[in-house]
Parts: sequence; C-alpha cells; structure tokens
Amino acid sequence: MNRTSSGGGTLLLRPPLVRAALVLAVVAVLEAAARGGLVEPLVMPPPSVMFARLVEIVRSGPFVTDLVVTGATVATAFGLGGLVGLMIGILFWRFPFSGAVFEPYLVSMYSMPTIVFYPILLAVFGLGTKPIMIIASTMALIPVALNTMVALRAIPPTLPKLARSLNCTRLQTYRKVLAPAAVPMVVPGLVLGFIYAVIGTIAMEFILASRGLGYRTGFFYRSFEIADMYAYILVISIVAIIVNVGLNYFERRIRRDMQ
Amino acid sequence: MQRTGVVLDRVGVVYTTNDGGSLEAVRDVSGVVADGRFVSLIGPSGCGKSTLLDVVGGLLRPARGGVVINGEQVSGPRRDTAMVFQEDSTLHWRTVVGNVAFGLEIAGVGRREREARARDVIKLVGLAGFEDRHPRELSGGMKQRVAIARALLLDPRIMLMDEPFGALDQQTRMFIGRELLRVWEETRKSVLFVTHDIQEAVYLSDEVWVMSARPSVIKSKIAVDLDRPRAPGTMGSRRFHELTSEVWELLRVESEKALDASGELRTTP
Ligand SMILES: Nc1ncnc2c1ncn2[C@@H]1O[C@H](COP(=O)(O)OP(=O)(O)OP(=O)(O)O)[C@@H](O)[C@H]1O
Ligand SMILES: [Mg+2]
Repeated sequence: MNRTSSGGGTLLLRPPLVRAALVLAVVAVLEAAARGGLVEPLVMPPPSVMFARLVEIVRSGPFVTDLVVTGATVATAFGLGGLVGLMIGILFWRFPFSGAVFEPYLVSMYSMPTIVFYPILLAVFGLGTKPIMIIASTMALIPVALNTMVALRAIPPTLPKLARSLNCTRLQTYRKVLAPAAVPMVVPGLVLGFIYAVIGTIAMEFILASRGLGYRTGFFYRSFEIADMYAYILVISIVAIIVNVGLNYFERRIRRDMQ
Repeated sequence: MQRTGVVLDRVGVVYTTNDGGSLEAVRDVSGVVADGRFVSLIGPSGCGKSTLLDVVGGLLRPARGGVVINGEQVSGPRRDTAMVFQEDSTLHWRTVVGNVAFGLEIAGVGRREREARARDVIKLVGLAGFEDRHPRELSGGMKQRVAIARALLLDPRIMLMDEPFGALDQQTRMFIGRELLRVWEETRKSVLFVTHDIQEAVYLSDEVWVMSARPSVIKSKIAVDLDRPRAPGTMGSRRFHELTSEVWELLRVESEKALDASGELRTTP
C-alpha cells in the first residue's frame, strides 16, 4: 500500500501500531487482574492460560472437525441465502408491484431476531443442520435482497435506454449494463449477508447442534471448562476478523475494478 | 408518402404518470427529415423534445400517429439509427475506448477492430490522450463527446442527438459544433438535433423546427438558406441574424407560455 502518513507523523504513532498496542494493554490488564485474584478463574482465566489451551486445541482433531463443519454450514447458508437474496432483489426491482407488497416484510425481518424462530424450526425439522441452515441463510438473504433491489433501482434510466437503443439482448443488458452498474452496491450487501450467515450459524450451533465451533463453545461453557471455552471464543473471533479483512479487501478490489 | 428519410406522421405522446393520471407531452407533430438533412428541434423546456426523439429512436410507442424511416414503420430500435442521450450515458466501469466501442461490441464486431476504430473516432471528437481513462476522470462535456463518438462509430444513416453539447461552454460548443458539421458534410447522415441554443440551431441546420409549449405541436419550420459549407464568418452575416431573430421571436412567446403554465413566472407583456 502506498499511503502518506495520515494522522500521526512519527512511526510510533501510526494508527495500526496504536491499535496493536491497545490490544496488548488490554490483554496485560486482564492477565494482571486474573492472576491477582480480582477475577474468579471460573469467570475468566488468565489470557496466558487461554492462549496455551488455544494452541493445544487448534492442534487437536475435534477442532478441525468443528471448523470444517461450521465453515461448510456458513458457506452453504451464504451460498443459498445469497443466491435467493439476489433473485428476490431482482424480482422486487423487475416487478415493482411485488416489491411494494413484500418489501416491508423483508425490512421488518431485518430488524427481527430471526433466531427466536428456532423452536418452530426445531419442531418441524428436528435437531441437525437443517434448521441451522434455514435460519442462517434467511439472515444472509435479507441484506443481499435489499441491497440488490436498491442498487438496481438506483441505476440511471439512461443506461437501460442505451442498451435498448443498441438492440442489446436481454442477456447482454443484464451482463454488460445492469450487473456492472449495480455491483458497487450489491457487494456490500453480500458482505453483510456473509457476516449474518456466520452469526446465524454459530448462534444456532449453540442450541441446536452436536458439532461445530458454536456447539463446542457452549459445550465447554456447560461443563465449566472455562479456559477451553475462551480458547474457542478466541478462535471464532480470529477467524471472523480474518474473514472480515478478506471481505473488505475483496470489496475494495471489486469497487476499483468496476470503476 | 416519402420513401426515404424520416417521416413523422401526426405523432402524439401521452405518458401515464405515477399517480395513474395521464400527461399529454406531444399533441401533434408531423415533419420530414429528408435523407442527409440536418434538422434542429428547439422549444421550451419540458415541451417534449426528448420524448419525440425517443419515438423516432423506437424507444417509445406514440399514442397517436407514427414514424416511418426509409419506408418502414418504426416499431423498435433500428440498426441504422444511433442516439445520443441528454443525460450522461457513459458506463462508469469502462474506459473511454470501452465506452466508445460498446455499440460495435453489441453489434458483434471483434475486439481488435472495434477498439482500433474507436481510437480513430476518439481523436475526431477531441479526446485523444483520454482513451484509457474512466468517465469519472472526465468533465461533463467530455462524457458527452464519448457518447457522440459511440454514436458516430456505429456509422448510422440517422443520428438522433439530444442536446449533445449541453454541458459544454460556448467556445468548446462552437468548436465541437464545427467538427460535427465537418463530419456531417463528409458523411451526410440525417440528423435530428435537439438544442436550446438558437445560434447553434441556425448555424448547424438545414431546417429549424420550433416547438410550442406542452402539449407540443410544431409551431414553425424555418428553412435555413445559408450556404454550405458554413464557415465561422456565417455567424456574422445578416441573414444569420435575421434567422436567429425569427427563431427567437417564436420561441420567446412559447417559453413564456411554458413558464406561465408551470406557475414559475408571471410576466406582463
Ligand atoms: N417517463 C415519463 N413519465 C411521465 N412523464 C414524463 C416522462 N418523461 C417525460 N415526461 C413529461 O413529458 C414532458 C416532456 O418531457 P421531455 O423530457 O420530452 O421534455 P424536453 O422538451 O426534452 O425538455 P428539456 O428541454 O428540459 O430536456 C414533460 O412535461 C415531462 O414531465
Ligand atoms: Mg430533453
């Protein structure tokens, strides 16, 4: 990256360095608090213990299985939710009447904790990946659908007009005009959808699953293995951060390429 | 009926508004753009000039009447017709070359050929050096020239241009106008050209159609009997001034009507 020193002139005062220092300081304070007896070990063990467990856990077999299971669930939920979300967004845009009728439902679902529906899904589908998948993909679908609809509606009418005047086929119009024009707003919807898929999957694993990172975290919590629980929380956080950085990078790349 | 050129036959356009009402934009417009002629449309804002161009371009079905091009009823966009829209129509994710070549790309011309040809036209409209830039790096007037180049590259028989120089300053406008005339004199396309600029209309055209306020009719068709090729000196000539004053007089009355109708202005004559 080629950035001029924005905010903070000297090397030591660069924002990333300050951020890292803050994290270290918090960890140090927590460590001191735990070792000094300020915090019960059952509430929170010292970070050094968590990290030690983290290393052991990451090397263990069950962890890899959990990671793969959760990863696969998230990917499927996102794939499904993203696809259906795109289709719904296109539908609402293409047929404004359907948009006018159904859009408020979607918006209110956006603000509703979809997870509360799990008892119903549980009753219908039983334990297992199905209800998890349904909740996570529904959560992923909503921002994708709404962003897609807004993106398509924001396209200046001159562009489809141009496509028509050049006798573009329907496919050409979508592929060469509408899609690229909408992408800068659709991609943030996809990024949000992915984040929702992760949240939905892990939250549902807590209550419904017998495998996966969310399940394992809850399991350690219930069996009072607090250091292990925190190690899992750390793993989930780290994976989430990595994925988020990746998505942001992807988003910026797309925006740049589309410009 | 005339076999060649563009024939507008009692065209009337009624829009359906969002609240379910209807708005009569164009009442009754007839006229002929004979093959190879340059015709300007001038009229108060909102009188239906863009609407009329959409009808001729096959993008809008009129409520009454119709358009016949070279003997064929217009029922949709045609290969021999190219449009330059009033609003920015550049594709912001494509370079200037990609934008200019877009029409040929849709027409199925191979990449190498269409890009080579695009580069030639880009020079013609004075955008040399900007071939690989994106629209966001261009001014409004430069984007309009990209749209003009895209239309020119299709080498259509008929060009429909909606205020293509609207975003340009007076000097550049004159300059590009002259370039357009040069190209036109070489290729002799039929042109239907919308403008707000009376001098531009008279300078470029064989005929100026003055439209009334909405719902519009053609109030007058003024034949421009200035010699071609036109030179900058043309604008100093007496005939040029007579013609522009004539258009101005017709237009003044209509513009006042249009503003009056929209309640923006109350003038006492
Ligand atoms: N899609 C539409 N739906 C409803 N009304 C429309 C639509 N497009 C244009 N109109 C109306 O039709 C009338 C003519 O519009 P048009 O764009 O053709 O005017 P114009 O002569 O090109 O104006 P300007 O010189 O300002 O560009 C206007 O009153 C406008 O409000
Ligand atoms: Mg207009």
